[in-house]
Amino acid sequence: MDISRFRIAFVGLLSLSLGAFYAAVHAHAQNGGTQTAAQAPQSETRSVWDGVYTEEQAKRGEELYRKECASCHGDTLVGGGGAAPLTGGTFLSNWNGLTVGDLFDRIRKTMPQGSLGKLNKQQDADVLAYLLSFNKFPAGKTEMPKQVEFLKEIRFEATKPDAK
Amino acid sequence: MFRRKTKIAACLFVLGEVLALLPDAASAQWKPKDTEWPTYAADLAGTRYRPLDQINAANFNDLEIAWRIKTDNFGNRPEYKLEGTPLMVNGVLYATAGSRRAAIAVDAATGELLWIHGEHEGARGGAAPRQLSGRGLAYWSDGKEERILYVTPGYQLICLDAKTGLRMRTFGKNGAIDLKQDDDQEILPDLTTGEIGIQSAPVVAKNTIIIGAAFREGMTPKSMRNNKGYVRGFDVRTGKRLWIFHTIPKKGEFGYDTWLDGSAEYTGNNGVWTQVTVDEELGLVYLPVESPTNDFYGGHRHGTNLFGETLVCVDLKTGARKWHYQLVHHPLWDMDISSAPILADITVDGKVVKAVAQPSKQGFLYVFDRVTGKPVWPIEEKQVEVGTVPDEWYSPTQPIPSKPPAYSRNGVLESDLVDFTPEINARAKAIASKYHLGPVFTPPTESKVDGPLGTLTVGTASGGTNWPGGSYDPETHIVYAFACNACAEPIGLVRAPKTVSDMNYIAGTAGEEVTILRGPGENAGADSPMPPKKRSSGSGYVALNVDGLPLLKPPYGTISAINLDKGEIVWQIAHGETPDVVRNHPALKGTNIPRTGQETYNIGTLVTKTLVIAGDGQITTTSDHPRGAMLRAYDKKTGKEVGAVYMPAPQSGSPMTYMTNGKQYIVVAVSGGAYSGEYIAYNLPAAE
Repeated sequence: MDISRFRIAFVGLLSLSLGAFYAAVHAHAQNGGTQTAAQAPQSETRSVWDGVYTEEQAKRGEELYRKECASCHGDTLVGGGGAAPLTGGTFLSNWNGLTVGDLFDRIRKTMPQGSLGKLNKQQDADVLAYLLSFNKFPAGKTEMPKQVEFLKEIRFEATKPDAK
Repeated sequence: MFRRKTKIAACLFVLGEVLALLPDAASAQWKPKDTEWPTYAADLAGTRYRPLDQINAANFNDLEIAWRIKTDNFGNRPEYKLEGTPLMVNGVLYATAGSRRAAIAVDAATGELLWIHGEHEGARGGAAPRQLSGRGLAYWSDGKEERILYVTPGYQLICLDAKTGLRMRTFGKNGAIDLKQDDDQEILPDLTTGEIGIQSAPVVAKNTIIIGAAFREGMTPKSMRNNKGYVRGFDVRTGKRLWIFHTIPKKGEFGYDTWLDGSAEYTGNNGVWTQVTVDEELGLVYLPVESPTNDFYGGHRHGTNLFGETLVCVDLKTGARKWHYQLVHHPLWDMDISSAPILADITVDGKVVKAVAQPSKQGFLYVFDRVTGKPVWPIEEKQVEVGTVPDEWYSPTQPIPSKPPAYSRNGVLESDLVDFTPEINARAKAIASKYHLGPVFTPPTESKVDGPLGTLTVGTASGGTNWPGGSYDPETHIVYAFACNACAEPIGLVRAPKTVSDMNYIAGTAGEEVTILRGPGENAGADSPMPPKKRSSGSGYVALNVDGLPLLKPPYGTISAINLDKGEIVWQIAHGETPDVVRNHPALKGTNIPRTGQETYNIGTLVTKTLVIAGDGQITTTSDHPRGAMLRAYDKKTGKEVGAVYMPAPQSGSPMTYMTNGKQYIVVAVSGGAYSGEYIAYNLPAAE
């Protein structure tokens, strides 16, 4: 699979620097909000249960994951040896109560371990989309943004909140 | 050149205190005090015990953070897997830390950094199978000179002046020994990338340093041929190699014939990657040996495979074998002997026995007379299931201790499946039906899309007691050990395409593309490009949980107290707060589930005069504490929790304790998830 082709398609669709910003705003509007994500009060921020990535994005992320991550974290994301699990109890407890942005930060700062900086923000956002997809958080209609400030407004909640 | 040394050595403001406390008689042999923590496991007997009681049941809840040291800058990026246990001697705390695996010295009372030493190993460090900060270092003194010893990720043994953090130039070659050399084998393919390393702390007994070896994860090796994990002894003054023990016997040596068809020649691994224990008085060393290549398939190494998964006793002076006991014949379950053997002088049926007790992943505590190697209670060879994987060789029996009883789950039967509600139980059964189930030593199966996908095991790769090991109270003769009681591990084998491995079978799941699992830092280099990996349709992957609930019944993690005079479990408790995903689970609303403990495998315990102390391995948020993990104290007589103090992240390295300036401290390594490595020291507030 030619990963760059996807990326080009994506860039073409949204235009490089502002795309994710609009995506975030758009996503918020879809959830019934009237403010931009950046202005939304804390109580109205989204969580991983609100469809914060698209299936297409998760597919791109899976390709990247298999190429760059699976050799340590495993095909089934269970980790092993020095590599942390990216699914299951330990993973969920590590991130529950934080934000997707915190997880994104961690990936940006330390991964891939042997070739730090190899993936750009868009690619890391795609991998993140795959992690959410693998962990059965629902896909939505808008791509996950690649700006950490927007990702920090998406709460990571291990358990699906009660329907209101 | 990998030996370019970092320029960051030696800040010397500790000198005053260190010199003041040094014994005045230059010739006096140094003797550690029981208020110090001079070696990884507190002492060479592997006890993790100190008879301190300033911190006790009455005041544990009052503990506050005395100091903390973040390890982010001890390396070129932060580390999130800090596993070290520091040492404390003469008011100075020594530890390995950070992604560089730097050695650091800090003031034990204040946490002030005294010196740091790092080795920049370049490509050699980058290719290392066991990276990051490691588990710790060793201290040695003759009463005059003080030395710190540790092994770098690139497998160099470094000897430092404990006062300055500078290399002791008289040791080895300018203060270092290249452990990839003089190892009775050529480390292949070359010294830079040749796979061998170690993450555990060296030990020094009398004047001998003992070093083992570790490799990458052994589930999916590229080849049946690998480097071997021999154990060596070195002179602490000169670095001269004193002896070597061949964990895979060479031709003509005892045990060579347990490898049929000459398979000892090419089979690798079989190292001692965890902590070594020594009885200095008897002059005996206890070596816990891991699995040979590969963890789950032995079709290229027929025979019982000595000294794989064998406890070996060797002479401290010569490395010559005194006795051995193989815990698993022809290893197929990754039951590496994963922690320090524990030396215990016990009284059994009125007779004093100098014993050695070995905790294990499989939940057995094996107890031997440590002089003769004879089991203290009978260990019976029992018939076990013989598998059907093509070309595999099976041992018809395996040794099962008659006492003490298994202290953690080591097999999966239908009765072990989660049953909070009938619906949950039905779904767990549906998942388990895709696997082969059975008691301990049920062999792996070939993975088939139509089932079984593999053998569903527990008490194997990450079960029971792993590298942190147990603790031992020499006054009451009780072993305390954490165990993962629900770390389920599906073991399926798939035929390895020749492009992936020269082995017939490696670990995998039918319907998945066969891939090589590597350790962190092992990159897909240009020399070994991996095919892009795709999940095929009809993927065989099955998540081993029911809507986030672990597949097996709680308790998920336990601490057990085991009386070694009687071979009995005195108490057993669930350790760790009930995970949020369980406590807040919609399907369990209104049900009262007792504390479950946590599904982690890296929790170490500390024993003091009255307490057993261990931290949670997972983050939780409860009405009692904000998002974080708790460091817990239990009454060591009863297992009752008597106090808990907040940690911002899970315990990732085992706690230790010491006294300095009249105050007791507990230091613990925390890290994980979003929280990078940090050593936190707790003590009691000065004012009530």
